[in-house]
Amino acid sequence: MRTSTNGHRQSPGRSHYPARYSAAELFRRGLVSEAWPPAWQQQPMKGSYDVVIVGGGVHGLAAAYYLAANHGITDVAVLDKGYMGSGGSGRNTAILRSNYLTPEGVRFYDRSVQLYQRLATDLDYNVMFSQRGHLTLAHSDASLRTMRWRAEVNKVEGVDSEVIGPAEIKQLAPFLDVSPAARYPVMGALWHPPGGIIRHDAVVWGYARGASARGVHIHQNTEVTGIDVAGGRVRGVRTSRGDIATPVVLNATAGWSTLISDMAGVTMPVMTSPLQAAVTEPVKPFLSTVIVSGTLHVYISQTDRGELVFGASVDPFTSYSMRGSLEFIEGLAGHVLELMPALGKVRLLRQWAGLCDMTPDFSPIMGKTPVDGFLVDVGWGTYGFKAGPVSGEAMAQCIASGQTPDIIAAFGLERFGEGALVGEKGAAAVGH
Amino acid sequence: MSGQTSAMRLPPQPGEVINRGEPVEFTWNGRPVRGYAGDTIVSALAAAGERVFSRSMKYHRPRGLLSASFHDPGCMVQVGDEPNVRGAHRLAADGIVVTSQNTWPSLRLDAKAVNGLAGRFLTAGFYYKTFMRPRFAWPAYESVLRRFVNAGTVSPGTAHLRPEKRHAHPDVLIAGGGPAGMAAAISAARAGASVLLVEEEHALGGHLRWGSEADLAVLAELTGLVAAEPGIEVLTDAVALGRYDGNALAILERRHGGAETERLIRARAKTLVVAPGLIERPYVFAGNDLPGVMLSTAVRRLINLYAVKPGQRAVVLTANPDGDAAVADLKRVGVEVVRVEDARLGGDIVAATGRAGVRAVQVADGTSIACDLLVTAVGWTAPTSLLNASGDRPVYSPQAARYFPDAARLPENVLVTGGIAGDGSVEELTGHAAAVGAEAARRAARTAAAWIAATPTARPAAGTGAEESVRPIPELPVDAHPELFAGRTNGFVDFSEDVSAKDLRAAVAEGFRGAELAKRFTTATMGPLQGKLETVNTVAVVAAATGATIAETGTTTWRPPYVPVTLAALAGRAFEPVRYSPMQPWHDAHGAVPLVAGAWIRPDRYGDAAAEAANVREHVGIIDVTPIGKLDLRGPDVPKLLNLLYVNKWSKLEIGRVRYGVMCAEDGVVLDDGVTGRLGEEHYLMSTTSSGAATIWEWAENWLQTEHPDWRVHVTPVTTAYASMNVAGPQARRLIERVTKDVDLSNEAFPYMHVRTGQIAGVDDCVLWRIGFTGELSYELHVPAGYGLHVWQTLLDQGADLGIHAFGVEAQRILRLEKGHFIVGQDTDGLTRGFSAGLDWAIKLDKDDFVGKPELAWQAAEGSGPRLVGLQPVDPSVVPEEASLIMEGGSIVGRITSSRMSPTLHRSICLAQVEARLAGPGTEVTVRLPDGRLIAATVMPQHAHVDPDGGRMRV
Amino acid sequence: MILLPCPWCGPRAATEFAHIGEVSVRPDPGSATPAQWRGYLYLRANPCGWTSETWYHRMGCRRFIKVERHTETNEVRSATAAGVAEVPGTGAGMTEIPDATAGARAGGAEIPAGGPAR
Repeated sequence: MRTSTNGHRQSPGRSHYPARYSAAELFRRGLVSEAWPPAWQQQPMKGSYDVVIVGGGVHGLAAAYYLAANHGITDVAVLDKGYMGSGGSGRNTAILRSNYLTPEGVRFYDRSVQLYQRLATDLDYNVMFSQRGHLTLAHSDASLRTMRWRAEVNKVEGVDSEVIGPAEIKQLAPFLDVSPAARYPVMGALWHPPGGIIRHDAVVWGYARGASARGVHIHQNTEVTGIDVAGGRVRGVRTSRGDIATPVVLNATAGWSTLISDMAGVTMPVMTSPLQAAVTEPVKPFLSTVIVSGTLHVYISQTDRGELVFGASVDPFTSYSMRGSLEFIEGLAGHVLELMPALGKVRLLRQWAGLCDMTPDFSPIMGKTPVDGFLVDVGWGTYGFKAGPVSGEAMAQCIASGQTPDIIAAFGLERFGEGALVGEKGAAAVGH
Repeated sequence: MSGQTSAMRLPPQPGEVINRGEPVEFTWNGRPVRGYAGDTIVSALAAAGERVFSRSMKYHRPRGLLSASFHDPGCMVQVGDEPNVRGAHRLAADGIVVTSQNTWPSLRLDAKAVNGLAGRFLTAGFYYKTFMRPRFAWPAYESVLRRFVNAGTVSPGTAHLRPEKRHAHPDVLIAGGGPAGMAAAISAARAGASVLLVEEEHALGGHLRWGSEADLAVLAELTGLVAAEPGIEVLTDAVALGRYDGNALAILERRHGGAETERLIRARAKTLVVAPGLIERPYVFAGNDLPGVMLSTAVRRLINLYAVKPGQRAVVLTANPDGDAAVADLKRVGVEVVRVEDARLGGDIVAATGRAGVRAVQVADGTSIACDLLVTAVGWTAPTSLLNASGDRPVYSPQAARYFPDAARLPENVLVTGGIAGDGSVEELTGHAAAVGAEAARRAARTAAAWIAATPTARPAAGTGAEESVRPIPELPVDAHPELFAGRTNGFVDFSEDVSAKDLRAAVAEGFRGAELAKRFTTATMGPLQGKLETVNTVAVVAAATGATIAETGTTTWRPPYVPVTLAALAGRAFEPVRYSPMQPWHDAHGAVPLVAGAWIRPDRYGDAAAEAANVREHVGIIDVTPIGKLDLRGPDVPKLLNLLYVNKWSKLEIGRVRYGVMCAEDGVVLDDGVTGRLGEEHYLMSTTSSGAATIWEWAENWLQTEHPDWRVHVTPVTTAYASMNVAGPQARRLIERVTKDVDLSNEAFPYMHVRTGQIAGVDDCVLWRIGFTGELSYELHVPAGYGLHVWQTLLDQGADLGIHAFGVEAQRILRLEKGHFIVGQDTDGLTRGFSAGLDWAIKLDKDDFVGKPELAWQAAEGSGPRLVGLQPVDPSVVPEEASLIMEGGSIVGRITSSRMSPTLHRSICLAQVEARLAGPGTEVTVRLPDGRLIAATVMPQHAHVDPDGGRMRV
Repeated sequence: MILLPCPWCGPRAATEFAHIGEVSVRPDPGSATPAQWRGYLYLRANPCGWTSETWYHRMGCRRFIKVERHTETNEVRSATAAGVAEVPGTGAGMTEIPDATAGARAGGAEIPAGGPAR
């Protein structure tokens, strides 16, 4: 495989697309009633690929896109047991931020935010990244101290974060109860202007379209049933639609990552738990920032459609069930009203759950494994969506060069055997 | 129309639910409207001649009545400060202020309706294809988009509502109070089950309510039978929101306490019977959203329940008996039915035209017929929400043109009856339901018996245990029905989201080939109705566009809740308790500034914290430390437990001695610290950090129960059984001497790190620990909680001449930092292993075992991890904020974990974590202040800044 | 709201319990290699199917119990007292699921007299 010179992408290559997206083109096609061509091609499944990526979410599709766009590796298949983006990519609360606690975490997510900022132009697809700012509330002096710690590390790493007081918070989010008499008084917040929300499905579709235009095959409704390993290296994958010979398999499957790694004989420090979320009926926009409270285990944003999107911490036990629970929406509603008491008459419209592969140190597992050719991009817990672009870029580089890029060096599987865990735990317990 | 009350009101109807003797008046967009008690907001408006109730989301098209039920996309209104009220369900009431949503300048003249002209450019997902460039312009585009949000408004003045919740434990819960639900309830109750019968509408009866005279007679009979069964509790205007694991049901009661106050009921049902009936499906054709296009059930509701004439001249498309019944109803009340298109005979509707309402309808043969009402009866959607949550995947039947539950996938504790299960006469449906009800009761009894049997403490079931034999459940017939989804012209599939069939076809053509992808791309079914009217049509249109069958394309799956529910009802009266010590009245009376510390509210300070701290060093102070975790340990094997949990040694602790100990987790990370004293031969008292009180209790229990069940140790949490206070300062002994009896307080008899029990201020059974977090001579007193305030007050009274002052948590933090005591979780973090916290002196690697030993042994061998050190800025006036980073070039090499201005030393003092190579005494490090300034600081030889030898504590 | 059949209290809502995690065997701290010890600390089977795990009846009897649960359906098929050696032939501390699906088996609990008091 060709070795890349660096991780930086080359020209976006819009000429790859059968139809460029733009307002003018919308207008022209509207006038002449001309339909748009398919955003991606449905290809027959081949018997072999240079690279097989398991998981057709934002991580898998981004890795495929960057393999093709940055490294010219296009003989790539992305497999998903359902439809693209049907896992965590379509179930998260679409919050982006880079205000992590550890320098390695901050650098990594900052790169992701940078990629997200130009993703719409890179992919020729409006992913609607709305950098409306991100507030993490502190309800105790201990939590305020952690916010300061994060702010200091962020500043050193060049990421815009600062600790602000209740008066400034009230200006940013007038519906918040910042009175000292609140049961969980708002003592301050970490204010992170580059944070915001994005249209998660659009990110998936944009990467899929970009990857497909460069020759990547996307096979939906194709479940991986086995991975062939011989002599310590990957030989192929078995799927519900037939076998594929390949020297490289990337596991990018989030909640189900244990099951895929098991197929290759790789045991991982992962526990799968549901993460639930909910959305309300729309109301006229009144909330422009993202609000997070770790103490109350809740994060809140309002979409451009007017819906309030709520998330929480993972369920208190491991499970592969995505049915959702009543306790979740009850607790969530109570916590939302502790923060914004005037929302009592807003109605919750829908709840759902996704599966999170939680690691002991709230950090991902990326890169090579003891099985040659079997790579992982897993352990994403509750923060995988934020890292889609940078993970795709880094994993593509890792596959293309055979070397682990510096930006993910801290996230290797071997750290658990070495007892060298990443220190995000303190900040990421409710890491949104 | 304004001012009129009865433009379209009919003479009294046999089944009407309005009370003509009780008029109500409310305002609609500022104008008064009169109706009757029993009217919904929209039926009152319709009676007054109003046809348009909202504007659509994208194109701002006028929308009117469609289903005349809760699930009516055109009838969302604002009522006072409540947004998105379902106007076709919510009852009209005197004085309510109702306004249309998202209309400007008015409902009639809506400026954004110009979007309709641009419709050909606003295709599904158009926003994904534009506004990308320039990158920095998106926020401007976005703010415009946000202005188009179609919804009501929230008010910052809405009070924090905390409605109560209810818990119910019915044997049989029946979701749906139509004829089937009622029959099932009667039968289950007669079999001895307690039944909760939940009906979404304002009264029981389902479609019988708007049916024929014969239907009304059946309804009257069923109503009487339900009322006669004491085992049936009926909830109307209530709905099962969802079924969760363990057959737990969330029930929403919409009206509670005589007001529109939602309340949540959590019901654990032994058996669930799902009997929701069917939802009538709209038909997709051009103009299908115009006001005046209604479902057959809508016109029958309007006529029969509310005595409202739905129009003057009607065209009807019917494919089933309900459509035929609508024709009969229309004729009976004087609506001119100008055309009936019978789909069973090939009839069809091509398009409806008009601006603010239907003016004409083009039918299958091409003729255009002037009318103001178009009624469609094209089939049904099975509301399978509760079944989906039970694992069911409904199966599409082309013959019946609707989905049916897959009974084989249902668990034993879920049964189905009524229209969702099949067709048939009312007799057939109620017969089926009666059998289902009896079976539900039988299964519930069996579950109850199993639960009792599985409960060791339960009394044996009183019943005979004789089970009724299984009663066979008859099969319901399934009637043939033509498949009618999307007609020959383009119309709306999702009325809430303004998604047309053409949008869905375009999505498929662009590659969004499955129902799920097409839904996500177009947002069909994502709006307030969540698919109740649109799901099946969406699947049908996608199926047609992809060339697959409906069965291949998808099923109807709904995520809970079945209907939207207010956050207030879900939250209820949230249980967020706080804890206060018994001395709180004194704190309140003395100006204590509260500090929220987990569940506890503690005095942070009473005045100047530095002065409070200085008083401890100079005279004597007293602090309320009740939240300190306290565990009473008894049994011969307590030393084994202590040796296991703590990193240091405990085998030789003598009676009367106290020792400080640190616990680590299995990964070697510092978990908690505290002291444990030996009170008797087999009796110990352990203290933990305040925040660790519950954790450490469970931690000890976990080790005892799962790893060492043979050890004889009994752990009792006594944190709140005692009020705890620490008396600290040079005068502490003199003060304690004045209030204790039978305890020799001399340094020889009761030295540092010893424990005594005795009487304090006349209170027996107090525990005195001579320990010192503050670094001064100090006694920690644990007194029975009920006497806490008395002892506290006595100490303050007796110490007045000694200069006693109460001090708060902040002063304690200053004092402990001067003394160099770390706080777990502040000076340590989630990766701080024992040696990093400076515990080299305490960790005894020669013990056989203790929690975390291997990791600590490896840390000792490797010398890995940072080190906690005492640190002093070179400039004594600078107090680096906690969390300030320690830098070396551009790299972070540590951070300040604690910092204060020391009132004793009159200089800034810190604890800091630094890389091990920088931990040597005298090392100069660079601290980066939050404002970016860099200052120099020196690593101290030890953590303590004041009295490092500890002489003051030992006097 | 899963029902967990606590062997001491009977079937109770899972919200009364704290999930502790997969049952794992603690290696001998005296001889464990770093790989063994860290496997015990971090590696989990995390199956999609039946698993054996520890729960703690925090708002009930405060006992740790061993539960066999299906991680996809959340079905529970047994719950036993953690740390209590099973007495052969008696199924000490064992209780069957009180689920209607288990059939009409009455008397599911087989806790010998004095079992809970231990």
